Amino acid sequence: MRSLDRMFEQSSRLLAQRTSRRSLLGALGQLLSGAALLPLLPLARGGRAAAAAARPDVNNPQSCDYWRYCAIDGFLCACCGGSTTSCPPGTVPSPITWIGTCHNPADDRHYMVSYNDCCGKTSCGHCDCNRNEREKPTYRPSRNNDLNWCLANGDDSNYHCSVSVILGVVPPGS
Amino acid sequence: MRASAIMFMALLYLVAGVPARAAPASPPPPLQAEQLSVQKLPPASAHWVYVFDEAFFNEIDARIHLFDGDSYQRLGQIDAGFAPGVNLSPDGTTTVVATTYFARGSRGTRTDVVEFTDNRTLHVTHEIVLPAKRAETIPSLFNVAYSADGHFVYAAYITPAASFGVLDPEHGTVLGEIDTAGCQLVIPSGPNRVSSLCESGRLLTVTLDAQGHEAGRAMSEPFFDTDRDPVFAQGIRSANGYAFISFLGEVHEVDLSGAQPRFAAPWSLVSPAERGVWRPGGVQVGALQRALGRLYVPMHKGGEGSHKEGGTEIWVFDLGTHRRLARWPVAPLGLAPLVAVQVSQDEAPVLFAASTAADVAVLDARSGRLRHTEKHLGQTPWMLLN
Repeated sequence: MRSLDRMFEQSSRLLAQRTSRRSLLGALGQLLSGAALLPLLPLARGGRAAAAAARPDVNNPQSCDYWRYCAIDGFLCACCGGSTTSCPPGTVPSPITWIGTCHNPADDRHYMVSYNDCCGKTSCGHCDCNRNEREKPTYRPSRNNDLNWCLANGDDSNYHCSVSVILGVVPPGS
Repeated sequence: MRASAIMFMALLYLVAGVPARAAPASPPPPLQAEQLSVQKLPPASAHWVYVFDEAFFNEIDARIHLFDGDSYQRLGQIDAGFAPGVNLSPDGTTTVVATTYFARGSRGTRTDVVEFTDNRTLHVTHEIVLPAKRAETIPSLFNVAYSADGHFVYAAYITPAASFGVLDPEHGTVLGEIDTAGCQLVIPSGPNRVSSLCESGRLLTVTLDAQGHEAGRAMSEPFFDTDRDPVFAQGIRSANGYAFISFLGEVHEVDLSGAQPRFAAPWSLVSPAERGVWRPGGVQVGALQRALGRLYVPMHKGGEGSHKEGGTEIWVFDLGTHRRLARWPVAPLGLAPLVAVQVSQDEAPVLFAASTAADVAVLDARSGRLRHTEKHLGQTPWMLLN
């Protein structure tokens, strides 16, 4: 799990250092192909709602405790007219993403998750959720959830909400 | 009991008699006609604090509240658009806001811009339009920043490729853009140097010429481990540079007074027994009173991934001896966990602290005594400038 995170991180870092932004996005898209069609992640936040400590609601997509939200930061699209894998009507998915790794207690597997942002409308304002497992500061963008990942969406770079799309199982021992 | 009370009242009434009707008093003089005016700010005070409010639940409407830590009054507001970067000029007379607007409020053509506000009037005096690549990220003092002499303003760009813009605030122009691949944010030092934090744990330092173009660059050795114990991107200004605090509570002091950064040996906020148990956290994770040499850090108990949780205590350290001087729990003060701290630099310093409940507390920076809590000073106050 850690090494997989590291792999994606190193890949994106090398790309960021050696290629133009356009080719970086293209390469990331190839890395993530077959998964979420467009990855992307949340905006700046901090010191807000985190998962409840008492009775975690790990199977409710409208709860911050939902297992696949382990590193999400923003408004849950499932509360905003979308779902864990779909943006709300009228919004625009963001074409870049960052990847988290979350444990599903139902099958005891770890999954790679892409946290796409949905963009082009102002803040949804519902189900604010800020969890930060293995999250790193902004100078490590591939593992950072503070950036507005709508930033590459041009005129649709306003942030609305975030989804959480499973990319695949992390092989045991990786 | 009740009957006797009624009897007593009746007797009192008879003895005292019916109260005489008050003689009609002459009416007070009429209120005078008034003149509408615009309030003038009082002279600037060392105890003013600029409260950065991300307004996260309607994020296109961020603002900065100017609050007086002596009178406990809101003095005014600076508008700040969408996911802005904010800073003060070296002389404190100007607030610089790097922000984004959409032509039709929440949608439409995106314009990135740097706006300058005169802190004596709170009027926007001028602006510089940027390329649409401004860093839209959690607030820090390094999203937009002035050179030490005020002649340059630096604006961090993230597309997500990293670079920064060099601006001339006096003439309102963009002088150029400097690529910082793999390194982010603008950490100013001296009149013409900009450092950036790198994914590798190094510091990239770019030196500019008089025209704001790159004259040279130097990459440091790694000074922290970005994988095992990264530093918060929110640095704390020190006498000769900045102190950076790591997730596990290591303090990395960086001297930026020379062409090359110098790194002091890191020291720890926590004892071996506290390490990994007590952690710094929040958004603005420390403040330094430079004359007293006191460092204030919001600390909480938590595990991996808790680095954005607010502090349930403020820990106070002597920067010279690295000794912890005090622990100030905030719950007994009626405060929710703290996400931002700032301290004034005068001889009677006050400590400002913003909580997850959007309250801003004013404390005596020497004793920790709570002087005032301003409830709901904004929606999501995440950074304090002073």
